[in-house]
Amino acid sequence: MKGSSENDREAERLIEEYITKEAVVRPELLPLGRDTKLIESGILDSLSILKLVAFLEEKFGIKVSPEDVVSTNFETVGAISRFISGKKGT
Amino acid sequence: MSGLARPFLIQHLLERSASESPGSMAAKSGALQLSYGELDSLAGRVAAVLQSTGVRKGDRVGIYTPKSISSLVCIYAILKSGAVYVPFDPDAPSERLAFIAKDCGIRTLLSCSLKMKGVDGIIAKGAPIKTVVQIDSDAEELSAKASYESKGVRVVSWDEASRGDHSPKDTGAIETDTAYILYTSGSTGVPKGVMISHRNSLAFVEWAADCVKLTGEDVVACHAPLHFDISTFSMFSTCGAGGKVLMIPERAATFPAELAALIEREGVTVWYSVPSVLTLLSLYGSLQKRDLLKLRAVVFAGEVFPVKYLRQLMSLIPHARYLNWYGPTETNVCTSYEVPPAAGAFLTSIPIGKACENTEVFAISDDGKIVTRPGETGELYVRGPTVMQGYWGDQEKTNRLLVPNPVKSPVEDKVYKTGDLVTLDAESNYLYLGRRDGMIKTRGYRVELGDIEAAMYSHPAVREAVVIPLPDELVGNLLHAFISLHDGAKLSKEEIQSFCGTKLPKYMVPDSVSFMTSLPKTSSGKMDRVTLTQGFSQGKGAA
Repeated sequence: MKGSSENDREAERLIEEYITKEAVVRPELLPLGRDTKLIESGILDSLSILKLVAFLEEKFGIKVSPEDVVSTNFETVGAISRFISGKKGT
Repeated sequence: MSGLARPFLIQHLLERSASESPGSMAAKSGALQLSYGELDSLAGRVAAVLQSTGVRKGDRVGIYTPKSISSLVCIYAILKSGAVYVPFDPDAPSERLAFIAKDCGIRTLLSCSLKMKGVDGIIAKGAPIKTVVQIDSDAEELSAKASYESKGVRVVSWDEASRGDHSPKDTGAIETDTAYILYTSGSTGVPKGVMISHRNSLAFVEWAADCVKLTGEDVVACHAPLHFDISTFSMFSTCGAGGKVLMIPERAATFPAELAALIEREGVTVWYSVPSVLTLLSLYGSLQKRDLLKLRAVVFAGEVFPVKYLRQLMSLIPHARYLNWYGPTETNVCTSYEVPPAAGAFLTSIPIGKACENTEVFAISDDGKIVTRPGETGELYVRGPTVMQGYWGDQEKTNRLLVPNPVKSPVEDKVYKTGDLVTLDAESNYLYLGRRDGMIKTRGYRVELGDIEAAMYSHPAVREAVVIPLPDELVGNLLHAFISLHDGAKLSKEEIQSFCGTKLPKYMVPDSVSFMTSLPKTSSGKMDRVTLTQGFSQGKGAA
């Protein structure tokens, strides 16, 4: 059984890998860090967030409602990872 | 002041509302608001500063900032200075923006601290910019100023620009002078600039205000980016009516649930955007939890609205009017259709409707006859005061699309050839069928497939490239690229997407990519798009 911080790091790694591969990221923004501003810098838009949500639901076995899809939960890789662990905890 | 009784320049709309009700709210964005008096005087002071830095009537002035209340000030300031505003897509790569600046000779740019890095890139790529007015001030400004001045570029701070106490000098502009240039995707890999005169724009914004019955009580959302002609309705029609423009920054529209909350909180009464935004709102905006009783008109344009999503939206917001407006950027808006309240049941596609007042549209079939009956198809032509002046610096393209009226006229009469194929329904509404050429729509944006292919060909590893549209319910079309590489070259999907991202706006970057050893050709040696499209739908070659 992994510790929770280890789980978080693993989640962050998977999210970062997904975004790097699936979203169109300008080279100067790579590699993504856990605090890179995903919305502000235009890496994620409304459409790529929809795909990301589908990925998160499948990968982490969580159910994301439309009300969950707000900037505070998606502004950085770190925020997404915290959102997921919050979802799993409930 | 002139033009108040009968506005003949766009800024007269603002000036009239400012003289009639200076204390009414003109615009809001986030926590910032400006009254009509404030907006008009601020725009006037910035206009005077623009003139003092050498801006003259007819000069092109760029706007390169995220959307905010300041962008509205900038637009009116540029118009008041007698110049032509050229809005830059704030997310477009600097190479493309430098092309635009060079193409129409932009020497003065309004920008902000957040975009100064982009300004550097645009200047480094050869844009002739000599003055940058920074519309926000920050601490780093002074050091930046010095480094710009060493390159011969003058930086004017916002404090300097907005504290001036002068009014702009009258420039003697008339309604047939150009007001703005909107750049759209061009088929050969370079964007083309659509020139819209004050008259072209006013003919549309005044019609649109009547059509929606705008009043001083309205709160009109400006959702579209400034380089998209949809933005002119909210910025100009609303100011003419004395209502309030709600400037929605690009990032505030990323999350449908937040956008729905914003519409409720700000009491938006009129909405105008591309259908895909409304689809996302109806699917993911939790609209049933919002009180949207104030929203009385929903207008959409730019692409086909899938009927099932429109139906869903109409059931969630049943009290609003729904209008479908149609018109390429070159014509502002030329037809309109009001969706009847109970339309959901029988409509299979939403008509683009009938010609707007003071505009004529007609369709001509391949054998040269005017389409008069349902079932006949033809290309749509537009005639009227909203039709553009032409493409900036491209007389050849202008002559190709702004053509002598094929219906004989005793006087010289130019009409715009849209390239859109249409037919008529039983009620004489036009129905949009498709395009004649390689232009497609994605997220409401016009995209020339050749523009994307030209960007891919500029990558040294790419030997051949073809982009095909894949129909998609949410965004209209997704883009799929087929690529073959030079012998021995290596390239991944992420690498070519990222490369395209440095050349093209994000909505033009292919969503998916297939690599092939060589691309199929037709007997005449052209890329065989039909085989590629069919191969894709049969599941071959996807990545």
